[in-house]
Amino acid sequence: MRRKSRRGGSVLAASAIAALLAVSAATGGSPTAGDSPPAKLTKEAPPKWAILSVELPVSNEIFPSGPGADVADSQCLICHSAGMVLRQPPLTKDQWRSEIQKMRSAYGALLPAEQVDALSEYLQRINGR
Amino acid sequence: MQRFRFMRAQLSRRQFLKGVGGAGLAGMFGSTWSGASASAVDLPFVNGRREVATNFPQKGPMILQRTRPPLLETPFEVFDQGVFTPNDRFFVRWHLANIPTIIDPATFRLKIYGNVRQPVSLTLDELVRKFEPVEMAAVNQCSGNSRGFFSPRVAGGQWANGAMGNALWTGVSLREVLDRAGVNAGALQVRFRGLETGILPQTPNFMKSLTVEHARDGEVMIAYAMNGEPLPLLNGYPLRLIVPGWYSTYWIKMLDDIEVLDKPDDNFWMTKAYLIPDTPFADITPGQPDVKMVPINRMVPRSFFTNVQSGATLKIGKPTTVRGVAFGGDAGVAKVLFSDDAGGHWREARLGPDHGKYSFRQWDATLRPRSPGPQHLMIRAINTADVSQPERANWNAGGFMRNVVESVSIQGV
Repeated sequence: MRRKSRRGGSVLAASAIAALLAVSAATGGSPTAGDSPPAKLTKEAPPKWAILSVELPVSNEIFPSGPGADVADSQCLICHSAGMVLRQPPLTKDQWRSEIQKMRSAYGALLPAEQVDALSEYLQRINGR
Repeated sequence: MQRFRFMRAQLSRRQFLKGVGGAGLAGMFGSTWSGASASAVDLPFVNGRREVATNFPQKGPMILQRTRPPLLETPFEVFDQGVFTPNDRFFVRWHLANIPTIIDPATFRLKIYGNVRQPVSLTLDELVRKFEPVEMAAVNQCSGNSRGFFSPRVAGGQWANGAMGNALWTGVSLREVLDRAGVNAGALQVRFRGLETGILPQTPNFMKSLTVEHARDGEVMIAYAMNGEPLPLLNGYPLRLIVPGWYSTYWIKMLDDIEVLDKPDDNFWMTKAYLIPDTPFADITPGQPDVKMVPINRMVPRSFFTNVQSGATLKIGKPTTVRGVAFGGDAGVAKVLFSDDAGGHWREARLGPDHGKYSFRQWDATLRPRSPGPQHLMIRAINTADVSQPERANWNAGGFMRNVVESVSIQGV
């Protein structure tokens, strides 16, 4: 038995949410279909263990071009996708610097000390205040 | 600023096209959820546009906070379906990017060692057959749930309110498992580790610890099922630690390593990360000096509207049921108070079935919009330890433990 992620599952869920989203304002009636506890697995009906194999999506996103983008691409993307950075609130250069320093001191990022300032400036420029 | 926003949109679109093959481009640039073509959502804070990803294994549509390692938020509409959050919509949060994508139950072992009488290594079958099954409904909530609403904003995962979920967990008592190994007198803490690792060797392994007393309280459990099914891989298949009433950072996923320590755990994730001010509701003013920091721990009560959102138009005089979910944090829900006049008056909402003190509990109340124009609704939970949600939002530099009274503004028409 091999369980795989199935695209079919996502498609079904997508139409379910579409139906759900049609009801966005307040509606009458009492709750709810999902309100009873699901059936439980027990000693008498233990889990059927199976090899689970999945594929995780890959992000191809890179940083916006400009001076410093090459550093961001070569350093930040080692451990996490670019979206984590691009979805932050606009931060000051000092705030970006402290985030970069955290990556270096806590998580072992390889970024050399002399590149910290340039990267802080770049991040402030693409997503700063 | 405009220019960079534009660049972000371009990047997002490029990634989006790669992800789902170009369908629904118009939806991508729509401003809110808009039915079947919705492929992005605007979370209500600056830089809040998020794609809705449908390409994560065993997951339906999820708000994409980060692809690698995955951070996926539950779209808030899901919480209106009932008090149990479906596994395929349950939020996802990983710290480190080396996540096993194949788990073979035949070779998987749960190891208990360290300051014990006899180290133990258990197969999944042994865990299921040799221990009494237990089950518990419990809310799993990220320490940083709702961080995007912090003011001033703080860095970190920019979640709206969907980094939480409630499930019925089935598994075994951690106490029984620890007793099989025999915790030695003098042991202080129990440290938990899962299979994820960092990309760089210098990155500290993700580990969290509980005191021996907490670990043996009879409530902390090792779950092998979630809502009656094996856990999705992204929620921790095959085993996850369940720490009822405590923030999710302690709920180690893909748990395979339990070490009993005879001294306090000094690892990075306990002493440097996930620290909160040691103040009520972890609340300080930005820049406040000399703040004593402690590891995050017990959850605080929260409540939410699930079937009405700001901007909804409701008919004047017509009774409408508004509803939502509440939870008590580390205690049960005692009552949920509803206000339809911006907190001027409060009345008790009706409570749905009680699935246990750590579960979501549904509430509802009848609203009759009074007059044309805006009307501010508020909801507030009070737990059985008499802790009430505060009216003013907390603040701390980590963006942790938000639990302010929630409000929505409807329009009477």
